[in-house]
Formats: sequence, structure tokens, C-alpha cells
Amino acid sequence: MPQQLVRPSPAQTRPGDPAVEGTGPVPTASGPAPDVSPASPGTPGTGRRAPGRAAGVGRAALPRLAAASRRLGRAPGLVLAGLVLGVVVLWAVVPGAFSSWPPDTGVPTDRLQPPSAAHWFGTDSLGRDLYSRVVHGAATSLAATAVAVGVGLVAGSLLGLLAGSLRGWVDDAIMRVMDVLLAIPSLLLSLALITVLGFGTVNIAIAVGVASVANFARIMRAEALRVGTAVYVEAARSAGVRWHTILLRHVLPNAAGPVLALSALEFGMAVLSISSLSFLGFGAPPPSAEWGSLVAGGRDYLVAAWWLVTLPGVVIAAVVLATNRLSHAFANPERNRT
Amino acid sequence: MNPFNPAGTTANRPTSRPAVVGGLLAAALLLSACGGTAGAGTEPAADATPVSGGNLNFALSVDRGCIDPQQAGNNDAIAVARQTVASLTSQDPKTGEIVPWLAEKFEANADATSFTFTLRDGATFADGAAIDAASVKTNFEAIKALGAKATLGSTYLSDVSAITVPDAKTVVVDFSKPNAQFLQATSTFTLGLLSPAAAALSEADRCAGKFSGSGPFSVRSYTVDKEAVLERRPGYSWPAATNTNKGEAYLDTVTFKIIPEAGNRTGSLQSGQIDATAAISAADVALFNGNGFSTETRANPGVVYNLYPNESSPKLKDTAVRQAISKAINREEITSTLLTDADQPAKGVLSHTTPYFTDLSPLLAHDPDGARKLLDAAGWKEGPDGVREKEGEKLSFQVTYWQSPKEVLELVQQQLKAVGVDLQLKFTTIADVTAAQADKTYDFSYGNLTRSDPDVLRTVFSSATARGGSNLREQLPVDDTLGEQAAALDQAARQKLVDQAQETLIKDAHSIPLYELSTTISASEKVHGLTFEASSRLDFYDTWLSN
Amino acid sequence: MIRFIGRRLLQGAFVLWAAYTVSFFILYLLPGDAVSIMASGDEQNAVDPALVARLRSEYGLDRPLPEQYLIALVKALQLDFGISIKNGVSATAAVAEVLPETIKLAAAGFALAVILGSALAIGAAFSRNRWLRQAFAALPPLGIAVPTFWIGLLLLQFFSFRFRLFPAIGNDGVASLVLPALTLAIPTAAVIAQLLSRSLHRTLGEPYIEQIRAKGASDALIHFGHALRNAAIPTLTMLGILVGNLLAGAVVSETVFSRAGIGRLTVTAVNSRDIPVVQTLVVLAAAIFVLTSLLVDLIYPLVDPRINTARRVSV
Repeated sequence: MPQQLVRPSPAQTRPGDPAVEGTGPVPTASGPAPDVSPASPGTPGTGRRAPGRAAGVGRAALPRLAAASRRLGRAPGLVLAGLVLGVVVLWAVVPGAFSSWPPDTGVPTDRLQPPSAAHWFGTDSLGRDLYSRVVHGAATSLAATAVAVGVGLVAGSLLGLLAGSLRGWVDDAIMRVMDVLLAIPSLLLSLALITVLGFGTVNIAIAVGVASVANFARIMRAEALRVGTAVYVEAARSAGVRWHTILLRHVLPNAAGPVLALSALEFGMAVLSISSLSFLGFGAPPPSAEWGSLVAGGRDYLVAAWWLVTLPGVVIAAVVLATNRLSHAFANPERNRT
Repeated sequence: MNPFNPAGTTANRPTSRPAVVGGLLAAALLLSACGGTAGAGTEPAADATPVSGGNLNFALSVDRGCIDPQQAGNNDAIAVARQTVASLTSQDPKTGEIVPWLAEKFEANADATSFTFTLRDGATFADGAAIDAASVKTNFEAIKALGAKATLGSTYLSDVSAITVPDAKTVVVDFSKPNAQFLQATSTFTLGLLSPAAAALSEADRCAGKFSGSGPFSVRSYTVDKEAVLERRPGYSWPAATNTNKGEAYLDTVTFKIIPEAGNRTGSLQSGQIDATAAISAADVALFNGNGFSTETRANPGVVYNLYPNESSPKLKDTAVRQAISKAINREEITSTLLTDADQPAKGVLSHTTPYFTDLSPLLAHDPDGARKLLDAAGWKEGPDGVREKEGEKLSFQVTYWQSPKEVLELVQQQLKAVGVDLQLKFTTIADVTAAQADKTYDFSYGNLTRSDPDVLRTVFSSATARGGSNLREQLPVDDTLGEQAAALDQAARQKLVDQAQETLIKDAHSIPLYELSTTISASEKVHGLTFEASSRLDFYDTWLSN
Repeated sequence: MIRFIGRRLLQGAFVLWAAYTVSFFILYLLPGDAVSIMASGDEQNAVDPALVARLRSEYGLDRPLPEQYLIALVKALQLDFGISIKNGVSATAAVAEVLPETIKLAAAGFALAVILGSALAIGAAFSRNRWLRQAFAALPPLGIAVPTFWIGLLLLQFFSFRFRLFPAIGNDGVASLVLPALTLAIPTAAVIAQLLSRSLHRTLGEPYIEQIRAKGASDALIHFGHALRNAAIPTLTMLGILVGNLLAGAVVSETVFSRAGIGRLTVTAVNSRDIPVVQTLVVLAAAIFVLTSLLVDLIYPLVDPRINTARRVSV
């Protein structure tokens, strides 16, 4: 879906990097990161960045995150994003602490009530409290998202690592397949997988994860190639250090930054993809309260009950906005100064 | 054929006509059970004179890619297909009586094994071929040849032993065993007549509407998932006895637009992009009472929406468990919460518009305490999570379904939870539902079956049918009753057998009825004479548009 | 130049072949026998053994794996992707029938996205009012974060139901195109706005702009004559992905607005497990991507003379 438009991949963003060579039809020019900051694109001087630098600079992300946290006070948007995500994670972990209404047992006589002090988000056609359903749905939505990102991260990184360390025909074969995956819009790819896997939350999570494998593979391969040719690694290799030691000591730690930065970004995209697939009806069965299916359930009541579609949608948008903001901060801490 | 593949895809809401025939004077009134202002459809406006011309835009909610009347099985395809064919007979929606259409005379022998039809003169197919006895034979044989593809028709003809054509106007259909339902079957769209040339077409071409029919409209164009356009058949002059129009159809064209989203249908009707639809969601129906619109509802005859227990599973083989589940269901709450004011809870296995209907609602009362007692006595004790269990096994069931509104079963789930029964829902596609039913591993299946004849009970429940009935149970005495009812031509005798079968099905909870599927027409007030036929199918032949 | 085009065409053919192969292996060889999935997708109660056998031999699935694949590939080269399980027409015909509707929608969506996106970027870069500028800048991140289906439903709620400005359904003339196209355009516009803003800022700071300014060219000329043109380049390189995603967005937009097109066809095909149609759609998406990329490569030198196409390809 269109939200997945920009998946910055550092591999794409460093012209001259071997990863860019001949990777088929994917435009090799800069693949800029989504500018998800609520701040302006920056005034000339502070905000000017090379396109694509966004994800590329995530390499040393961990220390930068610490630095970023010190600057939080100067970035209210970031604080807000953190708060939103914190609350949503708490919804998933201890939903009972946030709502006293049961999520899947309603009072039929209280059906379709607009938002009020008693029912913050109103009630649905069975008289169930919508806010409570959104809160309880967080666990399903976030777990599915985590599975999706996990699948993409693990499978993509493995493939990228294989390609980048073994080189030669393995590299060619893997990366050509990744190119093809990139040539197919990810929602379509997910749908094709669902055709075979069948419906359900786990299946759509896997399908979304597989659709993001190529991005992780490219970034991991680029790291493996870069580290593999670094002087100290050459030295280690000539000193007889075994390849798996090199992989563990040098390649993986170095790759962690960019890969994690991409994971954060993919998290927001996965929330959108999963809610879209749920909306299309391929997700969790009733009475489960996955966010996308909540919006889908409300669309028969567009005229009668505006809140059923509007409010769960606001939650999805807020979560994605917050994740994008955080991943952005994660990748370009300097932006938080402005 | 598929009893679970109810012709009920549209967002049809069950409904009830203020049960005109409340108490049902069953035997006395014989077939009068099809209550309501059936046949009324949109405002008849007796004083207005129909005018010819115009295009009617009608919204459908799904399109399965097939508008061949002999293959169609879902309500939306039927709405298109019905208009393209004439049938041998017609059924009066008010009385359930079978009346002439293409056959000007028809009779059955005493044991209902042989039926003789005498065709009217002058009727032709759209390609010019005459509608003669041979063409009837060709049609029926083609339907048998379609086998499972003719979802409904093949069951009507399954016991045919011979079709003979003594002369060009007479056709005789013989059955290997008594078949009281056959006359009603000949009134349905599914045994409607297509030009013999259609029998030679591929199934796909027939689905695509490339056949020549015998009805008041023919297919002008059909784009799958987008629209089907029907045009008036020039020279049509062989209406059913149930129609008021006697000549060609009034409308120049009928355009069926496929609009899957309920909100879009509501919006389109409001803005005049469509003139009528039978698929407005329950929440929006009230918008079209007055304000330049009219709403008309008729319950579909036949077996109402049911949970069918799979009695080959040990837990559901226990009658007490099934009875408890039926008692735990609050049918009033379903209709008042999720459906329109015109919708009615189930009052029996058959809906109140079905001939031979009898009100059995006392057997279907909401009795959660009774349910708990039954389950306690059967040894199912409440576990820590509120779900009953026995010997480590939970009282948990799964139902796979696709019918909307999906909230109906969510509400049933809540109601069952209150007595400690766990119902897991799998809301999915027809493909998955049929797959689950094919391997017979389900606990419950869900659905209805529309037919304006009580023989539909046998189709759905008899263990003697090809697929073993929806209960997948061993043979029981009720199967004999169902068989006898199919052979009974005497109306009083048949009524007794039908009542007896229904009572057993409900008391032993082979049938767990929920609510009556209904068809609601919502139309702009310029639409007149859009009527229901006896099976609650739409009939556009009498329809006209005022300016 | 001809060698360049030839080479790109070869690359494109490779991607198409690979897309076909990947989708073939995913759809036909993963667990869950494709044929029983398709046969059960039919509206019959029991899986019809005769149908299964027919499909099996039709797709050559009773043969060894390499042979199956080769048979399918040869058929695919003749644009035969099999028979749609839904109504027995060929999958290619089923897709071709509704493709024009989606092309209309995507074209309208793309045009709207370019207009909206450029307007936002220009507004953010040049508006003098600080609040206005910030408002312009805050919109794109929002546009990326909101779910497409939700945008569609909100547009429907406001413009169709509340204000009765636009029709609530699909394929009914120009007015009915507005809301679906807008739904499709918003996320894409957000991306275009971001890309453009970033490039505009970079371009406006470059020395040659200063030179032009010194020569006395008016502000407007600088903005539109030079900056925008340069800023368009990175956007152009994203075209392949943008178009692919318009296609994916059509899945949601067409569903929300009940509009016929390949997006809705995708959803119904997945629902009815119509594997031949799903595969056709996947390969079509790849083909569109390949064509767009090729087009970009050809347009590129026209927009930016600094780029030598032949050299760029060899990079």
C-alpha cells in the first residue's frame, strides 16, 4: 500500500557502494527516508542532508540513541511519540488496567452509543465498548507487527549475510530474487502469500514479514560487504581468524545499527500493512479486536455511527506516526536539535 | 447441491411481515401460510397507470461470475437470472398455490411419481426457437448433466426416471419415487427454460450470459464484478398468472451494478445513482422509510438461519448438549439488536412465508437456566475460565461461516458463554467454508436454504441425502417422516407430517434455528411494481418508473 | 543508446521471468495443493474429484516438477496463465477486462498526487508565514502514517454522506473518480512532497542559484525554472516504486469505493483462491514496474543533461 512507499535502504543510498551495482531494475538513485518528523524539513543549514543519509547514519545508532535521550527535553514531538508508544505497549501488556469494560461481551441494549464519559469511543453494534476493544486489540495488532518485523529481520538478515559473505553466485542468486521481490508491490506480494497460506493473524503477519525480507537482505548484505573489506577484517582474516568469528565479532555488531534503524521504520509500515490486510478481511476472526478489523467492522455503520471507523483509525495513525518519528530520531539524532 | 449455500448472500435481512397469519390455521388454511403482503414489493399504487420506458439501476452486493439461471445459487445472481427465463409454472406468493406460466395445464398422478405438463402456444426463446415439449426435455436433461454445477436444480430432478414427449405440446416427467415437491420446483428460476442451443454451450459461456432465455428480459451485457445489463425482450407475451403485466416488460433496461460495500449502496441510493437495492444494511434501512423512498420486506421461505450440529462428533451426539445450546440462545435479542424492525426471530425450522409453516416458537424460548440444568445433568461442570468441562475436555465448539452480518454469531457466542459453552467463530470465505464442510470435521455449520416448499427440510436434514444431511448423523425415525412428507399429495396429511418432522428436529435440537432471512427492497419512490415472487426472489416484469 | 535500451530490455525480461518463477513456486508448490485449493474454491459442497483431475492435467501438475514448470512457462510466454477458477474465462482476460478502470484511477491519483505533493513542497519552502510553513511541513508525515482505507472511509463519510458532494460509488463518470483518486493520491502526495522539499532545500542553497540571483533573475524564475527542475530528479527515480504502490493502493481504494478494477479483482481472487488470477496480477505488477523503470531511464537524460545514460548504466 502506498504507505510502504519509502523504505529507505542504506544499500540504495550510497552510490558507489558495491551493493548498488547491477541490482536490476530497482532505481539506484537515492532512496530517501520518509521525513516523518513533525518538524519542518529544516531550514537550509541545519536540515540539509544528503538524500538517504537518513538510514545510512544509523550505524552507530545505539550511542546516539543515548545522546538523543538527553536532548529529549528539546524535542517535544519525540516525547509525545514515546508517550504514545509507551501507552500502546501498556495496552497490550495490561489491557485490564486501562479499561474496565469487557472487550467482547456487550450490552445489546446499549448499542451504537456515541462517545461519552462512560464509553470514551462509543459502543458498537453489539453494545461493546469500543475503547476497550481498541485497548484489548493492541496485543493482537502489536504481536502481529512484531512477528512481521521479526520474520523480515531474521530471514532478510540471514540472506543478506549469506550473500555478502559468500559472494559469487550465491550473492547473485539471492540478490536477483530480492530484486524481484522489490519489483512487486509489497501489499500484492503479501496477498499472493495469503492466497496460499490461508487467512488469520499469524498468516498475514508472516506474509507482511516476507514482503519486507528484501529490504533487510539488502541492508545486511551491504554491511557484510563493507565490513568484509575493511582493513582490520582483512588483517584478522590473514591472521587466521575463522570466518564465523569474523561474522560474530565484526560483521554483526557493525550491522546492528542500520538493521535496527530499518526495523523501527518497518514496524510502522507493518502496522499499516497488517491493519490493511485485516481491513480487507484476511485477519483475525471475530470477536477478536485487531485494529484494522475494527475499522472494517465499522464501515457498515458509516452513516449511523461515525465513531466506529474514525476512532480506531486515529489510533492506528497515531501509532504509525509515533513509530516513524522514533525511527527517524533513531536514525538522525541531530535532527532533534531543531 | 449445498443446503448450506443458501441462496442468501445478499445483505438480506430476515424480516417479518407482521405475521398476518399469526397463529397459523395450518391445516385449515392449507397453503395460506405464506403470510404478509407478499407479492407487494414496492408500492403498488393501484391508481397509477404503468408507463413504459427507462432504465432501472439496481445494486447487488456480490457477483460470483455466473448468471446462468440453471447454475446460479446465490441471491444476487438469482436476481439477474430470474428475469431471463420463464418457468413451466408460477407460485402465488399469497397462497403458495402453483399456477400456470409456460404450462397452461399440469397434473400429477395419485402417488406423485408422474407429472404431465401441457405447454401454451406461441411462446419462443429469445433466439426464435419455439418453446415446445422437446425443448423442455432438453433443458431438464441438461440440468441433470450439469450435476453439482446446477446447485439447486439437480436436487429437484435427482429421482427423474424418464422424460417423455408424447406430442409437441406435452411433456411427461416420471420419477422413481414419489416427489410431491416437483410442481413447486418447476416454478423456480432454476428449472426456467433456456433455448436448447444453450445446452451445447460451455458452462463458462452459459455463466457469462451467452444463452437465449425465455423470460421478459434478455442479457445485453455482463461484466463480471461490475455490472449486468438486461434489456426488454420484444414480443414477450406469455406472463405467469401471478403477474399483472400481460405484454412486454415496462422497463427498457435493468442495470445491475455490483456494489460490495454496504455504505456505498446506502450512499448511492440516497444520491440517486441507483434506484433500488435489496441490500441496505440493517443500520441504514430506516433512512429509506419515507423521505422519497420506500422499503418493503419479505422473509425468504424455506429453512431459516440455523446452527447445524455435526452429530458425528461425540460432544454433539449428546442430545442434552444440543438442547442446552438451543435453549441458551435468545432469538429476540438477535433480531432486535442486529436486524431491522421488520425482521423476525425463528419460529420454527421453516420461516413464516413457507407453505405449511407452523409457529413453534414455544419450543424455542430463551431458557438459560434450563440450559444450565441440562448441562449440569450431563456432567459438564463449569471450569476455572467459565467454560464447562468434563473429563478434561472443554465444552468448546467451532463454527466456520461467511454469512453477514457476522455479528449475529458474535452475539450467539456471548449468549452461549453465559451458560458456559464456548463457541469459536471462524468468519471466512465461501471457499473455506465449503472446504471445512467437505472434510466433515466442523462442529457446527451455519446457513439457511431458500425454497418455497417444505420439502426443503428433507434437502437439509435427511440423512438419506447424498451428503448425509447437515447433521451427519445416523438414520433416525425423523428421516422416515421427511421421506413420507415428500410423497404426500394430500395437503392435510402433508401438513401433519411436516409439523411432526419440524417438532422432532427442534425438540432433539438437530436444528438450532436463529432467525428468518429476509429480503428488503429499498427503492426510490419513482420505482413501482418491483415485486417478490413466492420464493422472495425479485421480479422486474411488472416494474415501471414514474417520472 | 540502442545498446543501452537493449540491455535494459534484457534486464526487464529477466525480472519478468524471475517474477513468474517466484510466483509459480510460491503459488503452486507451497504446502496446500493448489488444485484442491482451487477446486474447493468452487461453490460446491464436496470437492469434485473430476474437477480436481481435470485441473491437475490442465496445469500439468501430475507430471514431474521441472516438466510442470516448463509447461507453465511456455504457456505464460503466450500470455496464458490458466483459467480463472471463478467463471472459467482465462485469467489474462479477466485482468484485461478491468485493467482500464484501474489505469484511469491510477492516472487520476498520480496526477492529483503530483499536484498536491508539489503544492505542499513549494508551500513549505516558500511561504513567508512561519505557522503556514510549519503546517505545510507537518502534513506529509501525517499523510504517510494514516491508513489508506481509513482516508477513503473518512472521505466517503464527509464528502459523500454529510455534504453529498460526490457519489459514493465507483465506475460512474468523472465525479465518481474524485474520491477514490484522492484516497489513492494522499499517501503518494505525502512522499512526493517530502522528496521535493528535501531537494528544493538542497538546490536553493547551491552556488549556481546564487549566481542566477546575482544576475537579477526574479525569484519566481529561480524557483520554478531551476530549483524545481533539479528537485524533480530524485522524485523521478522513485517513479517505479510510486507507480507500483499506486497499484497496491488501488486494492484498498477500489474496495472502499466498490469500484471495479484490478485492485478489487485481487481481493476477490485471493478470497476465492483463484491462483491463476493472482499470479497474473503479480506478473502484471512486475511488468509495470519494469516498464516504468525503463521509462525513467529514458526520460532521465532529458530532465538532467548532466547524466549520461550510457555511463549511468554501467555503474
